[in-house]
Amino acid sequence: MSEERQLRIVLRNAGLIDPDSIDEYIAHDGYSALERVISEMSPDDVIEEIKKSELRGRGGAGFPTGKKWEFTAKADSDQKYIICNADEGEPGTFKDRGIMEGDPHSVLEGMMIAGYATGTNKGYIYIRGEYALSIKRLQKAIDDAREYGFLGEHILGSGFAFDVEIRRGAGSYICGEETALMESIEGKRGEPRKKPPYPPTCGLWGKPTVINNVETLANIAPIVINGADWFKGIGVEGSRGTKVFNLMGDINWKGVVEIPFGTPLSDIVMNMGKGIRGGRKLKAVVLGGVSGSLITSEELDTPVDFNSLARIEAGPGSGSIVVLDETRCIVDIARDIAYFFRHESCGKCTPCRVGTEEMYRIIDRISKGEGEERDINTLESLGKSMMLTSFCGLGQTAPNVILQSLRKFRDEWLTHIREKKCPVNV
Amino acid sequence: MKRSGFIEELHECQEKEEKNYLSKKNIMEAAQHHQVPPARAYGVATFYTMFSVQPRGKHIIRICRNLSCHLAGAEEIVKKLRETLGIDFGQTTEDGEFTLEESSCLGMCSLSPAMMIDDVPYGNLTPAKIPEILEQIRRRENRNE
Amino acid sequence: MVNIKIDGKEYQVPRGTTILKACEAASIDIPTLCYLEGISEEGSCGVCVVEVKGARTLQRSCITKVREGMEIFTNTPAVREARKVNLELILAHHPLDCMTCDKDGDCSLQDLAYRFGIKKSIFLDEEEAFEEQKETSWDTNPFIQFDPQKCILCRRCVDACENQAIVEAIGIAHRGHKSEVSTPFNLPLEETDCQFCGECVQACPTGALIEKPRMGKGKHFQLESTDTVCAYCGVGCNIKLYKDKSNMLVMARGIENPLVNNGKTCVKGRFGYEYVNSEDRLTTPLIREEGKLREASWEEAVLYTAKRLKEIKEKYGSDAIGVLGSSRCTNEDNYVVQKFARAVLGTNNVDNCARLCHSSTVTGLGKALGAGAATNSLDDIKDADVMFVIGSNMTETHPVISQIVKKHQKYDGAKIIVCDPRRTDIAKSADLFLQHSPGTDVALLNGIMNVIIHKDLIDRKFIDEHTEGFEEFKKVVEKYDLDTVSRLTGVDKTLIERAAEIYGKAKNAMIFYTMGITQHTTGTDNVLSVANLALITGNLGREGTGINPLRGQANVQGACDLGALPNVFPGYQKVVDPDVRAKFEKAWGVNLPEKVGIPVSEFGEKALKNEIKAIYIMGENPLMTEPDLRRVREGFEKLEFLAVQDIFLSETAELADVVFPASAAYEKDGTFTNTERRVQLLRPARERPKNAKYDWKIVCEVSKAMGYQMHYRNSAEIMDEIAELTPSYAGIHHNRLEKQGLQWPCPADDHPGTKFLHKDGHFKRPSGRGLISPVEYKPAKELPDAEYPFFLTTGRILYHYHSGNESRRVKVLDEFVPKNYAEINPEDANELGIKDGDMVRVSTRRGSIEVKSRISERPKKGVIFISFHFKEAAVNILTNPVLDPIAKIPEYKVCACKIQKIKKEEKV
Repeated sequence: MSEERQLRIVLRNAGLIDPDSIDEYIAHDGYSALERVISEMSPDDVIEEIKKSELRGRGGAGFPTGKKWEFTAKADSDQKYIICNADEGEPGTFKDRGIMEGDPHSVLEGMMIAGYATGTNKGYIYIRGEYALSIKRLQKAIDDAREYGFLGEHILGSGFAFDVEIRRGAGSYICGEETALMESIEGKRGEPRKKPPYPPTCGLWGKPTVINNVETLANIAPIVINGADWFKGIGVEGSRGTKVFNLMGDINWKGVVEIPFGTPLSDIVMNMGKGIRGGRKLKAVVLGGVSGSLITSEELDTPVDFNSLARIEAGPGSGSIVVLDETRCIVDIARDIAYFFRHESCGKCTPCRVGTEEMYRIIDRISKGEGEERDINTLESLGKSMMLTSFCGLGQTAPNVILQSLRKFRDEWLTHIREKKCPVNV
Repeated sequence: MKRSGFIEELHECQEKEEKNYLSKKNIMEAAQHHQVPPARAYGVATFYTMFSVQPRGKHIIRICRNLSCHLAGAEEIVKKLRETLGIDFGQTTEDGEFTLEESSCLGMCSLSPAMMIDDVPYGNLTPAKIPEILEQIRRRENRNE
Repeated sequence: MVNIKIDGKEYQVPRGTTILKACEAASIDIPTLCYLEGISEEGSCGVCVVEVKGARTLQRSCITKVREGMEIFTNTPAVREARKVNLELILAHHPLDCMTCDKDGDCSLQDLAYRFGIKKSIFLDEEEAFEEQKETSWDTNPFIQFDPQKCILCRRCVDACENQAIVEAIGIAHRGHKSEVSTPFNLPLEETDCQFCGECVQACPTGALIEKPRMGKGKHFQLESTDTVCAYCGVGCNIKLYKDKSNMLVMARGIENPLVNNGKTCVKGRFGYEYVNSEDRLTTPLIREEGKLREASWEEAVLYTAKRLKEIKEKYGSDAIGVLGSSRCTNEDNYVVQKFARAVLGTNNVDNCARLCHSSTVTGLGKALGAGAATNSLDDIKDADVMFVIGSNMTETHPVISQIVKKHQKYDGAKIIVCDPRRTDIAKSADLFLQHSPGTDVALLNGIMNVIIHKDLIDRKFIDEHTEGFEEFKKVVEKYDLDTVSRLTGVDKTLIERAAEIYGKAKNAMIFYTMGITQHTTGTDNVLSVANLALITGNLGREGTGINPLRGQANVQGACDLGALPNVFPGYQKVVDPDVRAKFEKAWGVNLPEKVGIPVSEFGEKALKNEIKAIYIMGENPLMTEPDLRRVREGFEKLEFLAVQDIFLSETAELADVVFPASAAYEKDGTFTNTERRVQLLRPARERPKNAKYDWKIVCEVSKAMGYQMHYRNSAEIMDEIAELTPSYAGIHHNRLEKQGLQWPCPADDHPGTKFLHKDGHFKRPSGRGLISPVEYKPAKELPDAEYPFFLTTGRILYHYHSGNESRRVKVLDEFVPKNYAEINPEDANELGIKDGDMVRVSTRRGSIEVKSRISERPKKGVIFISFHFKEAAVNILTNPVLDPIAKIPEYKVCACKIQKIKKEEKV
């Protein structure tokens, strides 16, 4: 892996320090950002700094973090909450897990600063139940931080009080959706709420709530220490800082990379990932998870940032890069993705509950050579309707890769239907 | 009427149950404790895949079939697991040792194909490794007894 | 106001309006499926979507609120396409068996499929038929069927259960494509908290949930519907009744009158109409001959009755005759029957069964406040901060009120305090539950008021300006310190204190009580004590406050209002008042008796003493409802003449000399007055049996045969006469009652009715002030002792009504609860070696009955509860006929009993 192309902000400590040691974290400037905000900055200063840095949420939607905090800071309420969304469930994504298991205090410190900035004294970390080690590491980090006086009453001798509790998920992708996540913390089925109202003003138990992704929070301390200008100097217009990606699929090197925004996708795949496995040709890249987008080799030079990707109807999404080589069957990929969404739809709304089921049924039929040409139209019409009328992001994005594959690899679909066989023999 | 921790309590109940599941009694007690109506409590218990309202084996095998594991040959692993255990998804081996479940992505994509048995992750699986892993767990169990 | 554009046209709508409502206001039709206003607004189906300029996705019009400058497009290709696809998705999982579906013609999904021209879902192959087999195990009950194949998971049922019934017996289980509507653990509904109100059925847009009794009885378009008022309890739910082509009632639905039931009904309202179809209906007059009842013509029966009554009147005097009006007959019926008693028979011996339920309310509230009726309205509940429920098992007796109360608690955070010897459903929902011993209400209330005084939670200003008697009252209450009260009532001291604090501190507190307060020898005292509580805290004369006795029968309020009482003419105008009497004498053209008559609770005793020789009964069944039944029967057997008009051959009618076939409430027009004084219009939902007649008509015929003409062409004319003679009904006429009825007092034709009484602390008493009375605790007349060691208390259960003559002729109700049972506390059962379901003999000094035991946490230890609906085990054989000295109400709620397990060999 070409280290020089990477820039480690979020992963500054990962692999370098013992994640179970708060002392090592402190020795690497840990909690100095918290000290600084408490001793030198007003909550408004902190929000201004984050706004100035142009940090955008790393959960996928890319909402400006400072603005989110500002909404909650301004909301008038006896109780507010900070939630760390650690319900990483997007297939092909494990970056948050890497951060939590490699540097748990960086997440906590980000939450504390968010708490200070928004006038909140209670934080929850919602981690998917399957992440046993992350849960363990974060619990240890919370316990240690409490012992060291970074959590609890009178933090660092100030009037600021803040505490954090972990809430385990119990097996549900939809709980990564912020309102479903809050329902789950409240002990309910993880079903999304109607928006508006949005969490910053009406979130957990109806109280103003900041909900940030793990990676977003891990960016906070470095911004505070190095300043917004430093952060703005990294990346490109509209996408400042770095982004952590997970590389996998048919490439020679699989793993985690952190790159400045604006790095071309081809650079990540071909250089950092050391090219396609077995010297084969690239077919496509599933970028940003199975709810993300399908990038063809012609589009591979697109810089990875919000604006450039938006031009090809894509986005960094969850930070997953799954590389497909020429031997992969697009219908098989689509079927696997449809299977996933059928399994994870919460069932609240018709377009998603029935849509994911019908989508899988049709693709399964085509993959078995039992498809008809009208199925393509049905899939497109269904996919469009799901994107337009599903209640939440799950159903709205579930058809993304499938619809793009229908457009970009239409012949391959038609071959399955007309010749009742797979052109690449999967 | 705060329902904070209801799911946490279900987790704890399930962990205490030898058969790795939420009995009617478990759910009703937790529901009462958190003032959740029984129908809702049942709705919650059946919503999340990590919970089961049916008795399960001592060990839960969760195998991922999502994209990167799928590309890495998860279907072969699934086939081998079915063969070796003699059960299908959602079933429990006759000796009550293992329950086989499919899981969504476990976040072990760099080690795909991957699975978890209880809290322990297993990555870079090949069909050949499966009998060995299961045998190990059985052996450890016998030793402990 | 917000400026928006819909389909290019500009509109102004109030802020907070949904797009759907805005479109509705602009007469733009948006199809909806899962949306049920105020009940289910989840936005699940995606059929009502519209395009909003600038939005990435289509917006659900039902849950999306308008914003300033919003541009909405309701009919773009994207909108049409998306709506259609979502319907196609639903129809891929819904059988197309409309031809055999009971909901055919009344199905929202069918209407939409028609509108969008979907013959078969595009998601089904040409040859593929819908054949999803799904099973459900939880609809084993006789009321509600669930067909999961037809379920479209719109969640309207779940929301109706949650938001209307406030039960949550059903929910959504599993997730995604495996989601289903389910009870907890798929338990049969009857093993959940389900009350079978059927809100879920009414909410279901398809045929997934359906009333079992209506199945196969015809499709919606083959049925004829009529809006009327439920004939069971006093809530007065507005219901729509459906009859089939053969004149049978087959279905009932709640009507959305927001001031009363707002679409809700209970299990009896929804399923209890069937008795009117019964083959047991009386279809011809009967006359007793040689000890047996034989069929007779109307002419013969009427003339015979007139002759006998005349003879008895001449021989023994007018006061040897008693007349019984009915809480289940209309205001017009009752007006006519009391007029008959007074003007034709010449006696004030006229009463109705309110004697047995709320006569102490009439005396107590009359004394304290000047009006013996509920002070406030159902619509007021939303304004109460605290709801104080004493002696009311409202979930079973007044289910819809209980739903309103629980909803207000659940969604608005209002507090519920319940005082009851039984842990009833409403007690389980309460924020505070005080389980006092039967008959200790005065002690408990005095204890609560003692704390209120000591903590200075009284309303000094209200007491000074609007009441009298406080100082004297205070002296008495002073004696009821916490220790004393706790000892007398068996209630923990801290609970009494907390109840006092919660009630005392409330801005608006509303009291509800039922027969747990009234049916005691201290009934009047109990009511006075309840009145004291409201008076010293100033909780009267405003919305969300007051004292609200919940009336038990559909027209028990009206029967009293219309003078079916021995001491008053219609409108509580006293018979002893010469001016009043003169008014009625003038109107009726006869001299009227001036002596107060005998109450029904003394009819039996007086008959035994030969003081009453004849009784004329309209729609009542005293031989099931009076206490110490065997003695009352002896009395009735001694009568020289007994006439009964009824719809069935009741236990009382069986003993009669003449029986007249009457029409049922669902066959009548006329009015009922509900528990909140609302006079509502009844309309005939089916034709009465050919030879049956309206109750008022029967009375008129007998009257005419006795030489007194009563000419009424219809019930509206009777109401006009009532209005003329009754100041509180002066503005009430049938033509004013079409929509929401009118609450009395309604003194003039242009008066809108009265939502709450005693506005601004003005009481209709001579002093204009409310009376605070010193009330001492007196124990019930018969207390447990060595021989009879348990309290016996009686009451209604959810699934039955009155003497069972109606509800037990409803197949589904009788099938669901076919037999009487005795609720026994587990500790008592354990000590007596009684297991759930064992047959037991319950005995009192008056007799014994055999019933099944039901081991239940509901009664307090030492208390046995038995309902009064079952003639096979009539609990009134056991009850104590002692009366409240003023109200003459019997002490149904307390007597001493013993209980023995019946051994197997004994059963044979």
